[in-house]
Amino acid sequence: MTSDYKRFALTRAGQAIVVVLLAYVLTFLVISVLPGDAITNTLRDPQHGLSEEDIQRIVAFYGLDQPVIVQLLLSLGRFLTGELGFSLQSNLPVSQIVGDALPSTLTLATSALLIAIVFAVVIAYGAQYLPGRWAAIVRSIPSFFLSVPNFVIGLVLIELFAFRLHSFTTTDPNSAAATLFAAITLAIPVSAPLAEVLIAGLDHESRQEYALVARSRGLTEAKLFAKHLVKPSALPSVAMVALIVGELLGGSVITETIFGRDGIGTVVQKAVTGEDQPVLQAVVSLSAVVFVAVNLVADLASPLLDPRVKLRESKLREKVGP
Amino acid sequence: MTLNPKDTAVSADLLTVQGLSIAYGPTAVVHDVAFSVAKGESLALIGESGSGKSTIAKAILRLLPHSEATATGRVALNGRDVLTLPEKQFRPLRGRELGFIPQDPASALNPVRTIGAQAHEAAALLGETDPAVRRAKILDMLEQVGLPDPLRVYDSYPHQLSGGMLQRVLIALTVLPRPSLIVADEPTSALDVTVQKLILDMLTDLRRELDISLLLITHDLAIAAERADSLVVLKDGAVQESGASRDVFASPATDYARSLQADVPALHPDRYRSQRVPFKGAHDGDSRTRAGASPTAGFQIDVRGVTKRFPAGGKDVLACDGVSFSVERGRTHALVGESGSGKTTAVRLLLGLEQPDGGDIEVAGQSTSGRSRADVREIRRHLQLVYQNPFTSLDPTWRVGRLVREPLDQFGVGTKAERAQSVREALEAVGLPSDVASRRAAHLSGGQRQRVAIARALVVRPDVVVLDEPTSALDVSVQAGILELLSKLQRELGLTYLFVSHDLALVRQVADTVSVLRRGQVVEDGPVEEIFHRPQHPYTRALLEAIPLATVPAGDQASKQLAKATA
Repeated sequence: MTSDYKRFALTRAGQAIVVVLLAYVLTFLVISVLPGDAITNTLRDPQHGLSEEDIQRIVAFYGLDQPVIVQLLLSLGRFLTGELGFSLQSNLPVSQIVGDALPSTLTLATSALLIAIVFAVVIAYGAQYLPGRWAAIVRSIPSFFLSVPNFVIGLVLIELFAFRLHSFTTTDPNSAAATLFAAITLAIPVSAPLAEVLIAGLDHESRQEYALVARSRGLTEAKLFAKHLVKPSALPSVAMVALIVGELLGGSVITETIFGRDGIGTVVQKAVTGEDQPVLQAVVSLSAVVFVAVNLVADLASPLLDPRVKLRESKLREKVGP
Repeated sequence: MTLNPKDTAVSADLLTVQGLSIAYGPTAVVHDVAFSVAKGESLALIGESGSGKSTIAKAILRLLPHSEATATGRVALNGRDVLTLPEKQFRPLRGRELGFIPQDPASALNPVRTIGAQAHEAAALLGETDPAVRRAKILDMLEQVGLPDPLRVYDSYPHQLSGGMLQRVLIALTVLPRPSLIVADEPTSALDVTVQKLILDMLTDLRRELDISLLLITHDLAIAAERADSLVVLKDGAVQESGASRDVFASPATDYARSLQADVPALHPDRYRSQRVPFKGAHDGDSRTRAGASPTAGFQIDVRGVTKRFPAGGKDVLACDGVSFSVERGRTHALVGESGSGKTTAVRLLLGLEQPDGGDIEVAGQSTSGRSRADVREIRRHLQLVYQNPFTSLDPTWRVGRLVREPLDQFGVGTKAERAQSVREALEAVGLPSDVASRRAAHLSGGQRQRVAIARALVVRPDVVVLDEPTSALDVSVQAGILELLSKLQRELGLTYLFVSHDLALVRQVADTVSVLRRGQVVEDGPVEEIFHRPQHPYTRALLEAIPLATVPAGDQASKQLAKATA
């Protein structure tokens, strides 16, 4: 097990690095074929007030007068050493811009994920154990959650809790209360697919014979749920983390805008409008890293959570004997 | 005398079922069933699938889905009515009074928790709070049910253990809290016949030792007669007949019980023999170990010294180790062995689904090994397979006509009209009405499905049919119909059968010759009668002894038949 697991983990980690690098290259190429010339649009903008000397230095730094492939290699080399370059708009190091915005977004996304998990478990438990009609209503919640756009949820929550009930104020978007409601806004659509997978898993697992046998041993429904059913039902949702992270990243841009928070969403917005190539490249690469890292963790966790997961593709596909 | 004998009998009963009826919605599945189990006694509920026996068991255990099923009547355990007791008062009885051993050990334990973790739930019912004491009791019990390495089992996950070991674990967990009644729902039907015997022996011993009553649910009359003090025969949810096992078994009063008795293979070894051309020991006297003999004309299947290894866990496993056997035209040869004996591998090699590492296989004089796909495809026209489980081997959404026609389409045989004619003939040959052709497989019974599978194999007019446990998924009475059909088809069409089975009693009924496989090797082969009467290898003897009903008290006609059957 352990040596198999090590090999498995190393292979997966290697694959993850390759994916990140490919994502970096792809982003770079996409940005470079976008219409618009960064030099004329941004650097030579008189508002910037850059001297010809500065421009020459920046052009040389990014290799902007060289073919795209050379620019790519320069950029990739710097990325590998952790050097993200400078913003074309503000001249600040990209790492500083991203580093300033990141904590706010991370707080938002992490709390949204936790809230989404709580929502999903509560919905799934209700769908399983509430009496008939209530269970049917609870079962329809995920599709409702999924079909309401993020910004509508945000606006409704602000109208209700900030303007009517005064639970938080929109003037201080970074307060704990405001963060909580922003996280709820983000959590609602994210919790829907999680809840659906959990409901399906619980439906399946509770019909298995082992659930019957455990019940025959005198376990209460609550104990059966907690000790027997949750883990196998939740296993498929570990694989869903990928989808959820995508949703969190995309949703946080909208949520930050609605709640007026400064975060990665704002950075992306500014960088896109200002054609700030290094910042865009850094943010997209960062998203890829987060995405791949979360998937890697999910992959590495699944053999630990589910003892049945085979680490090596066995060549013995056919069983010996019936 | 204040009490009459009847009253004492009633008060000694641990479980009394009276007027029990169960309905799923508006559909009644159990009608007015009554029986009782005395303390320390065992009772078997027997019947085919759909007879309501498992439903009754679940009702007694209160495991029926209460939203769908309604049970009326009285089920008294130690005088307390189980059906009307509030859940709060019933729960303390679960496990402590009423134990449950389920049918399929592979799905009866949580796959993502260790055996030990689940065993603690059972041990907790003893009221013991110290985990170390509970652990000791669990390990003790695991040893008592005959598990060789209790510590390893304790730390294992269910998928790391074999079916037989898992069933031992389940029995251990059920017995651990010392219930007064165990309900066992087909506890061994998913297991090999030798394992079945060991498990049932172990359960019988434990019951005696701990004075536990048993309600055994089974479709197998032989097991019921061997293991239970009394029998209740169920059909369509109603009691047909009940009484002491010995009486019901020896002189069944109803037609249904009689037919069940007649369908037990072990009791009627010659049932299909009269329908077949008599077999005169084709080999010479010393043919018992024919490995390496020269190929003889007239062999439809000739397998010589075939070897196949699979890599598993870093080392090679020999799934077939010098396997040889041959089958004459129009004969039936049986491959017998337990799970892992290599019989499935042998079949796969024969069908050309795997290539052997060594040896030679000829079907109708043509070698199947080491040839191109097209050649193997051509051989398959002469060589058809009927799978084990008709519930999974037929696409449930296809109509029967298309299922049977598919091989003709595959091989491009004849015109459209000719194919339709062949399909009609094949369905007629297997005794299915012609209107079945327009129905979907999902709407057919197990027996009908297996007939469709046989029609599908016959439609390309093969010479050789491989029957891979063709009746193991079917009820005993349905099995008899299928075997009758196979005998008839063999006689009429001169088919050669390779019959793969773990059931020696069945093999004796249908086969002319047999090879006993163990760990990829043929340990014994020869004519069926010889193997049955004079088994040489200890493994063959163990297989024969594992046939249920080897030890029913003698003294009446059925027992005499029995004695003959198991001599």
